Amino acid sequence: MTGPRARAALSHWRALLGYAVGIAVGVVAWQLIGLHSANFVFVPLTTTLSSLGSLISNGSLPNALASSFSVYAVGVALAIVVGAVTGVLFARRALLRKAFEPYLVALYATPMVALIPFLLALIGYGFWPKVIVVFLFSYFPVEFATQRGAQSIAPELLDVARAFRTSERQIWRHVVIPYTLPYLMTGVRQALARGLVGMISAEFFLSAGGLGSLLITQSEQFDTGDMLAVTLIITLIGVILMAIGRTFERRFARWRVTS
Amino acid sequence: MSATGRNLPAAAGALPEVRQGQRPSVMRMRLAPGRRAGGPNGPGEDSGVEAEAARRERTQVFLARVAAGLGILVLWQACAATLAPGYIARPLGILGQVPAVFGDQSFWSAAGSTLLAVVEGLIIAVVIGTVIGLIMGRLRDVDRALRLYVDSFYAMPLVALVPLLTVWFGYTPLTRLVVVVIEAVLPIIFSVAEGARSLPAQFTDVARTYRAPWWRVWAGIVLPASLPYLLGGIDLAIGRALVGAVVAEFIASLNGLGYYILFNVRSFQENRAMLALVLLVVFALAVRGLVSLFVRRELPWYRAG
Repeated sequence: MTGPRARAALSHWRALLGYAVGIAVGVVAWQLIGLHSANFVFVPLTTTLSSLGSLISNGSLPNALASSFSVYAVGVALAIVVGAVTGVLFARRALLRKAFEPYLVALYATPMVALIPFLLALIGYGFWPKVIVVFLFSYFPVEFATQRGAQSIAPELLDVARAFRTSERQIWRHVVIPYTLPYLMTGVRQALARGLVGMISAEFFLSAGGLGSLLITQSEQFDTGDMLAVTLIITLIGVILMAIGRTFERRFARWRVTS
Repeated sequence: MSATGRNLPAAAGALPEVRQGQRPSVMRMRLAPGRRAGGPNGPGEDSGVEAEAARRERTQVFLARVAAGLGILVLWQACAATLAPGYIARPLGILGQVPAVFGDQSFWSAAGSTLLAVVEGLIIAVVIGTVIGLIMGRLRDVDRALRLYVDSFYAMPLVALVPLLTVWFGYTPLTRLVVVVIEAVLPIIFSVAEGARSLPAQFTDVARTYRAPWWRVWAGIVLPASLPYLLGGIDLAIGRALVGAVVAEFIASLNGLGYYILFNVRSFQENRAMLALVLLVVFALAVRGLVSLFVRRELPWYRAG
């Protein structure tokens, strides 16, 4: 009996097997390569996990996480607020948008890490320079996404609203904001990812603290086990933040108007 | 927006730009006047009036752009002159350094070093990324086995790998090349896999009906159909590749534009450093411009979507 249900069950098991094989090969490869290479090059997964344990118990990882996340949260939050406001502003004021567009495009294309030395010379080390770097990394995706959303508001919606003598405030509340939010969320997802790159880069060069500077110290000591442990944590953070961003995006995409 | 505009892929970073049939705004800027200028020889009796209005609008936009640009420069110059110490970069200072920097052998050697590494890395990433992407897009089992790794590396800040890579490959240009390849390959894998996955089943069905050998299906159908996605991936990859190259140069002190910036800022020559930054931006815009030019000229069917 190989009915459609049996076939569905089979393909389900096959999918699970695919994922399992992927993970198993990765874990075994990590362990084997680690066992057969010098300790400063690569260490087995088990050693990495015990390094992770000691990094947590001696407090260096929790401290670094706290320091990194205060920078990240402030920088990304600023980028979202400023990006959303300027994005809507540029969308609603055509001449302003057209006037500044080439410069914004050039800035969007700028590899922001290259600005770090200038920032260092201008305002030195510390919390705010790092926040500025995170902001610079995550501002532009929010601004561009918001602008694209607000620009694409169907003119009929505004016409109908005007025909019913809707006040400017109500237009914003019922048309502009609901229409733009799904686009904004796409920008937010990108900002979450880019902000993380900004955070790590800023900590490489602008800090005594945070995950980035932890990595630099460890690489100078050829502490590969610790480095792999921190990298694992950073990967995990990246994956979690992406999942959060995608959840937001999907939630709001439900009422995105599709034509 | 038929084949290109379906469900947003989970990971398509900035892809929506491409997906919605819009080119990055550089292209829109350059396209817009040309398209409007098509009015005069178009049909319709009021095209002269339209052309006149379009011309007036274009002049207005141009003037607004010049005014905005000058405004930014004047404000920058004024702030730097009144508030900041003398070594901070400012427009007039940068202008004054142009002859010195352009005549400087070390600037061009730095530029060549970085840009060649980025181009080389992009080419390697395109080859690897296309192969992996096509396989992941067409073979579900491979996709399941690799998905976790591709997803995780795409979600993480890859610059975090640079310290580890300096341990593996030393403080050498090889480290920079590896960083560039890793940064660039992920968006390419992602987009190409998405393109190969969204290939309409009729295409492969027809090929199978005519008993096309598998390699002709891959080379003749799957690859060309994924080409626009590959270009979308390259568009995303270029910015990431530059960030990777600069971070690698900072950390490993390698000859290149990133290190040129670092060195000159540290020796209070910010105006010179700024010119290196400008070159990086121009390079990024040029590559993206070339990509969209290629899409427009060679793949017109893609834009029609």
